[in-house]
Amino acid sequence: MAAPERDDLTGRYTTGHEWDGIKELSTPIPGWWVGVFLISIAVALLYMVLYPSFASTERYYEGALKYSSAEELRREVVAARAAQAPMRNALVETPLEEIEADDSLRRFATTGGQAAFNENCAACHGVGAGGQIGQFPALVDDDWIWGGKIADIRQTILYGIRSAHPDTRQSLMPVFGQILTPEQISQTAAYVKSLSDPTAAGSRASMPGAPLYAANCASCHGAEGQGGRDFGAPRLNDAIWLYGSSQEAIERQITNPRMGVMPAFGERLDESTVRMIAVYVHTLGGGEK
Amino acid sequence: MTAGSGITNASVTTTDAATADRPARAAPAARRPRRKPHLPQPVHGHFRRLKTRLTVIFLGILFLVPWIRWDRGPGLPDQAVLFDLPGRRLFAFGLELWPQDLPIAVGLMVAGAFGLFYATSLSGRVWCGFSCPQTVWTDIFGGVRRLAHRIAKGNEAAIGPLTGAMSAAVAILTGLGFAQWFIDAPGLAGRFLDGSLPGAVYGAVFLIALFTYVLGAHARERVCLHMCPWPRFQAALLDRDSLVVTYRRTRGEPRARKRVALRPELLATPPAGPVTGMPQAFAFAADGTVGLARGATVTAAPLSRGDCIDCGRCVQVCPTGIDIRDGLQMGCIGCGLCIDACDEVMTKIDRPTGLIRFDAEEADPAPMAPPARIGFFRPKAMIFGGAMVVALAAVSFGVANITDVQVDVEPQNTPRYVLLSDGSVRNDYTVRLSHRLPRLDGVTASVEGMPDATLRFTSGDGADAAEMAVGGQRSAANRLLVIQPPLRGDALPPAGPHPIVLVFHDTSTGAELARVDTRFWEPER
Repeated sequence: MAAPERDDLTGRYTTGHEWDGIKELSTPIPGWWVGVFLISIAVALLYMVLYPSFASTERYYEGALKYSSAEELRREVVAARAAQAPMRNALVETPLEEIEADDSLRRFATTGGQAAFNENCAACHGVGAGGQIGQFPALVDDDWIWGGKIADIRQTILYGIRSAHPDTRQSLMPVFGQILTPEQISQTAAYVKSLSDPTAAGSRASMPGAPLYAANCASCHGAEGQGGRDFGAPRLNDAIWLYGSSQEAIERQITNPRMGVMPAFGERLDESTVRMIAVYVHTLGGGEK
Repeated sequence: MTAGSGITNASVTTTDAATADRPARAAPAARRPRRKPHLPQPVHGHFRRLKTRLTVIFLGILFLVPWIRWDRGPGLPDQAVLFDLPGRRLFAFGLELWPQDLPIAVGLMVAGAFGLFYATSLSGRVWCGFSCPQTVWTDIFGGVRRLAHRIAKGNEAAIGPLTGAMSAAVAILTGLGFAQWFIDAPGLAGRFLDGSLPGAVYGAVFLIALFTYVLGAHARERVCLHMCPWPRFQAALLDRDSLVVTYRRTRGEPRARKRVALRPELLATPPAGPVTGMPQAFAFAADGTVGLARGATVTAAPLSRGDCIDCGRCVQVCPTGIDIRDGLQMGCIGCGLCIDACDEVMTKIDRPTGLIRFDAEEADPAPMAPPARIGFFRPKAMIFGGAMVVALAAVSFGVANITDVQVDVEPQNTPRYVLLSDGSVRNDYTVRLSHRLPRLDGVTASVEGMPDATLRFTSGDGADAAEMAVGGQRSAANRLLVIQPPLRGDALPPAGPHPIVLVFHDTSTGAELARVDTRFWEPER
């Protein structure tokens, strides 16, 4: 390497590189820039000491400040809950039937209820509570197996249906496949299907399934198929069929009944959240007074 | 150092570069002297009168329009033009504009932009010279300064504070003039003084006043020269046919005192066609010298002169302090005050006016040729003017088609339909209504194409109603349930979405308010 040489014009050293007769000056980086660069490095090192930085497969360095974003989130959730406390208290203290008449309380409950519903209920009942035919009942319609008043909805959420909770709503439909012959089941199913058909009203009594229904089904589902909410027997004379409305589907349900299970959410959610969900479901369009 | 190492070898002898780490700085004496503020002198004439009249008109609009009253009925402001920021609406006489009418404002801005382009392509920066607020207020503050001088009558110590106080008063008045477009104008001054206005108003008045004072009274022409982006691209809008303020070199050069003999051809009657035989004049133009006053560059005094006697009046009256005789330049705001000044002088020395005048670059260069006419029928001007007309037509169309009632209907998709126990099918919609009617208490809905359907509004409080309550509010939202009664047999519609029209009526008058196209989703059966 050649000895360092100076440029006549500027008095600076050159790099010794030359292209087309032009020599490159060895102009130093500005001092302020180098200073900022060094300060940045110092800040980065400080940051590494203060905050979680190094990790191995089993543990990680927690940092001098013991900062944790999960802990930060927990604190924020606690603070948010604290901010909601007055409304939640009011929600719990207000009688269920009066919540919806209070405009601010209703808004609070439906907004929070929607979020809680989407988190806890939508997996089965669907976002928007449209249900799923053959699986989970719709909550937006006007058909309620266990009652559609806001108190009924709250109780269903709290204790579930056929859940493990001692206070759960409980009902059992016998397995008629072990009681009736396939022909009898078929006749019963035909009768059940006619219950919701107004054009069959005149001929219904003479159907072969009529005595079978009266003997086996009417005690729970009612003489006219009007259902019985006290023991969760669905209406059979309406247009809503959770497990299907075809002859085959009804036969299947008589032969080997399916009965859904809903967990008791009272074990997971507090009273105010349960009430929020109840209010939200009640305002979806099918709630009963 | 090796010999022949390229341009680094260039010999510089003034500094001892070999011993200096840094190049020697220029001596302080070589720095540019601090620029003196340019204070244009007053002038009288045609363009000065035009400017004054326009200023009076613009100030009249600013200060008086908000005082016009307009009866809109109870509960609404009676100011004809009001930017109601808290209510998020703009009242303009019979119009009430909402944020969603923004396209109209955009159309107005587009029309304004093309109007500006159009005017510029026709006649240069007439906007800058006559209508720009910066120009208008710079002009006003110039008047304030002269008034302060007249009041102080030579008391040098009083002139500064007096000018400052009067300028501040003008700035605050400007702020109030601005604020009265946003708040009830007649009561504004009183409420401003007794402190009962919202803090935002004081903030706005203060800010406007501050900017007016800083930009109008202090920055003045520097805004036009250094801050304003407009001169940077006006060159793209001008062409050689645009009428711009022009110094007529062929007539004015060479410059000399009045006692130097006039060029003989200038004394003759204006010849037709280009004037020839002025080698001296063109030589001046070609070598870039700009006149005797600046020009130590001109060594020999000319034997004959043009009409310019180099009195400097055109520079002294110029709001931006430029010399128009250097040719059209960025600093020229096209106000024509130099024309007034020059015409004054030409009249005094018994020469025809118009040495500086609005003229086209393409104009006849003959010294006494008449000025070019304004060129309306050129592609550039016609395109800009046409675009302006199109934008204005679009704005007119938009204004004519503003609806008083806007209803948005959003079908609920989760679930798309609800089966009810009696076999009927329900679809749910979220209805959002906003209106600018004098009064609207409630709305009923009906559906076209589904004869037996029933409609119910539900607000979520458990009470369903046939009517959606608006109750004097400007907007309301609600859920609408459309229930199709049970259909059987052949009447069963195919599954999927079907177009329907929801019609909304005023409950009290029965008038139809809006028709909204949406869909009704039929279930699979």
